[in-house]
Amino acid sequence: MTTLNIDHVSRWFGNVVAVNDITMTIGPGVTGLLGPNGAGKSTLINMMGGFLAPSTGTVTLDGQPVWRNEQIYKHIGIVPEREAMYDFLTGREFVVANAELHGLGAKAAGRALATVEMEYAQDRKISTYSKGMRQRVKMASALVHDPSLLLLDEPFNGMDPRQRMQLMDLLRRMGAEGRTVLFSSHILEEVEQLASHIEVVVAGRHAASGDFRRIRRLMTDRPHRYLVRSSDDRALAAALIADPSTSGIEVDLAEGALRIQAVDFGRFTALLPRVARDHGIRLLTVSPSDESLESVFSYLVAA
Amino acid sequence: MTDPVMWKPRGRLFDLRGTLTGPYDQRWMPRQLSGLTTGVVCATTVDDVTVIATESLSKRFPRVTALDRLSMDIGPGVTGLVGANGAGKSTLIKILLGLSPATEGRATVLGLDVATEGGAIRERVGYMPEHDCLPPDVSATEFVVHMARMSGLPPAAARERTADTLRHVGLYEERYRPIGGYSTGMKQRVKLAQALVHDPQLVFLDEPTNGLDPVGRDEMLGLIRRIHTDFGISVLVTSHLLGELERTCDHVVVVDGGKLLRSSSTTDFTQNTAVLAIEVTDTDDHPDGTRAVRDALHARGVDTHDGSGLPGAGHILLLTAQGEDTYDLVRDTVADLGLGLVRMEQRRHHISEVFTDSDAQQADEQQSVSAGKEAVGHGG
Amino acid sequence: MAVEQTPAQAGAQSRIHNIGYRSYDGQRLGRAYARRSLYSQSLRGAYGLGRSVKSKVLPMVLFAVMCAPAAIMVAVTVATTAKELPVEYTNYAIVMQAVIGLYVASQAPQAVSRDLRFKTVPLYFSRPIETADYVRAKFAALASALFLITAVPLVVLYVGALLAKLDFTDQTKGFLQGLVSVALLSLLFAGIGLVISAVTPRRGFGIAAVIAVLTISYGAVSTLQAIADAQGSSGAVPWIGLFSPITLVDGVQTAFLGATSAYPGGVGPSTGEGVIFLLAVLGLIAGCYGLLMRRYRKVGL
Repeated sequence: MTTLNIDHVSRWFGNVVAVNDITMTIGPGVTGLLGPNGAGKSTLINMMGGFLAPSTGTVTLDGQPVWRNEQIYKHIGIVPEREAMYDFLTGREFVVANAELHGLGAKAAGRALATVEMEYAQDRKISTYSKGMRQRVKMASALVHDPSLLLLDEPFNGMDPRQRMQLMDLLRRMGAEGRTVLFSSHILEEVEQLASHIEVVVAGRHAASGDFRRIRRLMTDRPHRYLVRSSDDRALAAALIADPSTSGIEVDLAEGALRIQAVDFGRFTALLPRVARDHGIRLLTVSPSDESLESVFSYLVAA
Repeated sequence: MTDPVMWKPRGRLFDLRGTLTGPYDQRWMPRQLSGLTTGVVCATTVDDVTVIATESLSKRFPRVTALDRLSMDIGPGVTGLVGANGAGKSTLIKILLGLSPATEGRATVLGLDVATEGGAIRERVGYMPEHDCLPPDVSATEFVVHMARMSGLPPAAARERTADTLRHVGLYEERYRPIGGYSTGMKQRVKLAQALVHDPQLVFLDEPTNGLDPVGRDEMLGLIRRIHTDFGISVLVTSHLLGELERTCDHVVVVDGGKLLRSSSTTDFTQNTAVLAIEVTDTDDHPDGTRAVRDALHARGVDTHDGSGLPGAGHILLLTAQGEDTYDLVRDTVADLGLGLVRMEQRRHHISEVFTDSDAQQADEQQSVSAGKEAVGHGG
Repeated sequence: MAVEQTPAQAGAQSRIHNIGYRSYDGQRLGRAYARRSLYSQSLRGAYGLGRSVKSKVLPMVLFAVMCAPAAIMVAVTVATTAKELPVEYTNYAIVMQAVIGLYVASQAPQAVSRDLRFKTVPLYFSRPIETADYVRAKFAALASALFLITAVPLVVLYVGALLAKLDFTDQTKGFLQGLVSVALLSLLFAGIGLVISAVTPRRGFGIAAVIAVLTISYGAVSTLQAIADAQGSSGAVPWIGLFSPITLVDGVQTAFLGATSAYPGGVGPSTGEGVIFLLAVLGLIAGCYGLLMRRYRKVGL
């Protein structure tokens, strides 16, 4: 049970269209759902988890609809964004309560707590937990029934680097086990480190999907930017500009490098080592300077 | 090559080379600042001025120790503070503002002792809190003017500086509308404006990019950089996001569990390693370009291994550079195979490694402790 | 960074002016100035000045309601050429206590709850002021606002009395006594109102709590006093009056300011007993100040 299919889904609240005709497929592994604030990520996640019905379109998990389908809920775990929890319970009590809601017992709860490495604090009240610990307990309660689909809404909000690393490791493990893990974020740094596959949502529309470097290469209307350092920048520049694959070369004196705009990605990358070799120029650094997720993202948002 | 540095009469450092920089701009070279991790406080160069210095600073609460013998020395520029959980960070700021006494140890801000000269410190320091702190029914102008006056600016100066400061942080017509209607980005700007309006020498910015989307984040980071390069004000920024700090700060202090983990300049943290990362395209002749390159390099005696990246992250090959010839070797190999060279760059370190290293170190220590225990147990 | 070019003609010079960041080398006026600024901002806020139109309505209406009876009494006195005002200066506030109570209830929360609710307090304390400055400024501002609303009617009465050609010495004496009384009352009510409002960040609770405290205490005290008086133990009546703010002030002014007591049976405390009352008032004021200081020290940054 690992493929989530979202088919032409829209969701509106009165005149406000939160999700606007989105079609996507989420498979096993870790996927990042990315978008600016208010892009509709939470709404989409709620629909995936069965908390909200789509206004049009269908959300299915391995072919079965998610909305109002109790059988499917067994396979879905969701970690919502809101922080409110039952502070007076201990961690263990909270997870056990959730386990019992699924018809499971303390053993399953214990396993879940072990997975999130919260056993050491399970008997303390949740009110004494730090933010990261609360997040992990929430995760434990979402994992207690061993779901194959795990949805997390802004899970890293406010976590410090150490807590974040731990949670990322956990999610990577889940993904490696074959589960489908989807997390949303508007902090690109986090998404970059964790997700192999991203889905970008902008203002309720589905803007892009896939590996962000490949997405960048698909943006053919934007010249690729490269930073190149070599043993003889000017000679290299002269040789490169002769070829139509480059549309601009800037000599950056402060950096001691060339900034190249390449309009033909494939042709340019093949040209570069050849030209350097033929002219006896040593290449020291070849670095695509706008392949970052941020650059890709800002382009998609501006579209 | 030393940066030309000029002293302003009031003792602030201006870097004449400082240019407007944006987050993508790798042009700025961070000034070398002293980063000490021991308890001794001293300046190591003539130009060096200590902006914040703490000596074995501790703060203990009944149930938790927020700061544990923290000793650090922060110079002018943009300094990042990372890792401290909520209790440690806000406690530190309170102590540095002279609002809360430390359990142990000493601290000075701009040369003034936090224990005795708190008021003087607060005159010269600005603070931008992490949480929402703006009343919704007044306009930005009114609010910042009031705050300026509370900082001691006479009425005329308060008005003029408010107008100027709001422009510098990027609030234009919106400044006359009530704050309640502002977006998160605008609210952060107002918070920043009230911290800058009285021309402080140092500002504490607590998670300034909180709640901002990537574009807003970039703008705020650019603004923070400008505060130092254009306005000449030193900055202490706290953040959870290491990437931001790597981009914006000259110096980073990593605190973990109340203890200092490391304090060095950003360049120290992000030094190049000897590892070269290579990425090539696939062609019709070589549908798996990466493998072709790997095999070819192997044939020449160069060992490579796969970059530990994400499954779909493109195929990155890592190899250890044996001198400059390696570069030529790679170039020629790729050219001979007719592949495209997408990337060839030295891998650099990241700030996050500080955490993993310390974890590994702790694990080692624990192992050796338990091994030692075992040895003792066995009468060894 | 001014760039000058040699002028083509005399007087036709081009330059670029630096509108970048300017540092501030002027004077910084210290804590007293900051206190004054906060004081004036809070005082103006208590009458809705500098805030939205909606927030002006209630204070202004209450102000008008406070002054209207005074104006009417003056008109009546002049018209009927009476020998004295229908009500004593010191009695006016007691009579109008409901309006005063409403005013405190609405403006005390406005003064302090907002800063607590929107967490603006850290911004104040990160500046070169101390807790005492903030508390004093707010206290003084609300007390001043109350003084305005209670003293202006007295001024109206006084001017009217003089216009009605009543005895100058008498009226002046009464007026001054009234002023002292309402000054005490302003400080007391301001303290109580602020302490209650500072406990909760929610303005609504603050309003309700202040009204509750003032009304219930007065209701309980006056009921008990009536009972005591009816049962003949009129010696106890003044002592019961210690337990509600308005009756406290009544007691003090009866003992020292020549007022006629509003207690049932018309028996107020004697001068000796009045000392206790005065101490109680001053003690309460000081206590409120202390509680506010504690509250804000805790909230801090």
